[in-house]
Amino acid sequence: MVDKRILLVDDEEAIIRVLTVSLKSDGYDVIPAYSGNEGLALYEQHMPPIVLTDIKMPGMDGLELLKRIKNANPDAEVIVITGHGDMDSAIEALRFGASDFINKPVRDEALSIALKRAHEKLEMKNQLRRYTNDLEHMCQIATEEVRRKSDFQDKLITSSNDAIVATDENGMIVTFNPGAEEIFGYSRLEVVRKMKFDDLYPEEIAEEFISGFRRKRDMKGGGWKEVIIINKNGKKVPVRFSGTLLYEKDSVIGSVGFFQDLREIKRLQQELVNSERLAAIGQTVARLAHYIKNILTGLKGGTYIVNIGLDKNDTDKLRTGWSMVQRNIGRISYLVMDLLTYSKEREPDYRDCYPNDIAEDVCELMEAKATENQIRLIRAFDPAIGELCMDPDAIHRCLLNFVSNAIDACLFDLELDKKWQVCVKTELFDDSAVKFVVSDNGGGMTDEVKGKLFTAFFSTKGGKGTGLGLLVTQKLVYEHGGKIDVTSEPGKGSTFTMTLPFRKKNADTAKH
Amino acid sequence: MAKKILTVDDDPDIIAFVKTVLEENGYIPMIAKNGEAGLAMVREEKPALVILDVLMPKQSGIRMYREMRYDKELKDIPVIVLSGIAKRTFLRSQEALTEFGDQPVPEPDAYIEKPVEPEELAEMIKKFVG
Repeated sequence: MVDKRILLVDDEEAIIRVLTVSLKSDGYDVIPAYSGNEGLALYEQHMPPIVLTDIKMPGMDGLELLKRIKNANPDAEVIVITGHGDMDSAIEALRFGASDFINKPVRDEALSIALKRAHEKLEMKNQLRRYTNDLEHMCQIATEEVRRKSDFQDKLITSSNDAIVATDENGMIVTFNPGAEEIFGYSRLEVVRKMKFDDLYPEEIAEEFISGFRRKRDMKGGGWKEVIIINKNGKKVPVRFSGTLLYEKDSVIGSVGFFQDLREIKRLQQELVNSERLAAIGQTVARLAHYIKNILTGLKGGTYIVNIGLDKNDTDKLRTGWSMVQRNIGRISYLVMDLLTYSKEREPDYRDCYPNDIAEDVCELMEAKATENQIRLIRAFDPAIGELCMDPDAIHRCLLNFVSNAIDACLFDLELDKKWQVCVKTELFDDSAVKFVVSDNGGGMTDEVKGKLFTAFFSTKGGKGTGLGLLVTQKLVYEHGGKIDVTSEPGKGSTFTMTLPFRKKNADTAKH
Repeated sequence: MAKKILTVDDDPDIIAFVKTVLEENGYIPMIAKNGEAGLAMVREEKPALVILDVLMPKQSGIRMYREMRYDKELKDIPVIVLSGIAKRTFLRSQEALTEFGDQPVPEPDAYIEKPVEPEELAEMIKKFVG
């Protein structure tokens, strides 16, 4: 609703009367005042939007009144009434902020034009104020929202367990959260705006950032990787790192690096490794002690019999006892050799040899034990295999292990009347390797046993096995660049296969 | 008359050792290299005592011990188990067989874990056969 109040100030009562009539007929609510002082008092009391005042008045004149009112309310619309031709006063009044002036004698249409303009200005001012208010309000909301978001992100960054380090486009560090303090050992105050990323990051990461900044391209890698950081105290801190350049449109505006502290994880891992190692050592020592105890039993038994032989001058006893001692010395030698082979790095000793001859040699060695226990030893050698360059000692040991295991599998078979047999087969494979296959129809293995075959000191033979044979075999096969396969079925038997690649014969190489 | 004592073991060292202990103490040693052969020999020879290993090819000592205890004629022959296997393990294996439906058997008369001193073995034998 438009405020139609108007303060009318003139020392001439007649003019007030005439103008009041005229203004009232235009719908105005006139507040009359007969002097500058009264006008000011009434203005302060009513605060009407429009003031119409004569300039020439005794006491406080119209200009003074104008100044006072404008002082009180810069938005007030003050129209001055000037004497005819008194342009100086009119200009003076406009300088002091009058909205308009009308000359005396006041004509109705001049008055209503001036009033109309005053109203329009008021309306514009109102609108402007409304817009300004709206704008300010919206600006406030937006500011609040931005503040809230930045607060949220601040909290996010601060409460992150990971270290977060952000730089501006010049590499100057601008964000350094408590996680970063924890890892790097510097306080936020020491770093923010004081250090650049290359003061802090390990060289390999710093270089990536530098080249990223230079090429204005993102850094390679992208994913997480493990690096070592040297912190303020010179300590090495293992971390997982991931970093990226920050873009706005197409230009780089900074970088951010994320670091996860791996100290605790590394410590736990180390502890786990240590305790596993200790457990393994404990188990190893226990099994080894058990096996050595068995050998010791043999040695003690041997010396007991030798002593009796000496006492009674009985050469038979002497021979029996002495052979026991010798046999057990042999067992110790094998054990020590197995342990050494198992624990030492060994290069295969490639020599020209006939693999079939080695297989035959192994069969001959085991023949007696097989025959004694009614086990048939079958040979199936591939005649295509001639002289090849391989490690003959490794082949011999592995094959001997396979065959003696196969014979044991038949011996310890729970079935009582089976026609046991062990088959030793050689086969040229792919013209680059020799396959040695040893299969038996003995007791076979359960999956549980199969799963533990290559575990150190695992043995199903009680005190009679070291639990090293297959482990050593596997090691020799791997060192020879070959592979080892096992298939087995409980009650049906097992098949062990090793495939060993061969080299060109030395003799051949020499020719070329 | 000297008494016959059967030792059942697949380890030639143990066989030689036990055989010598038996001879030194005036017994007649008899030898079997696995449970199957051992059982046959017990039936035939009716020894005064059996010294029995546990882990052997063909029939194990666990099975042979049960067979002896089921057999009316053999069940009173004393058995000393002489093994690298702990007594605990031997008894657990027997329990397992019982759980699978076999008749329960009493514990062996004596159980010696290898290694054994000759005097200890001799004393133990004397306890059962005099």
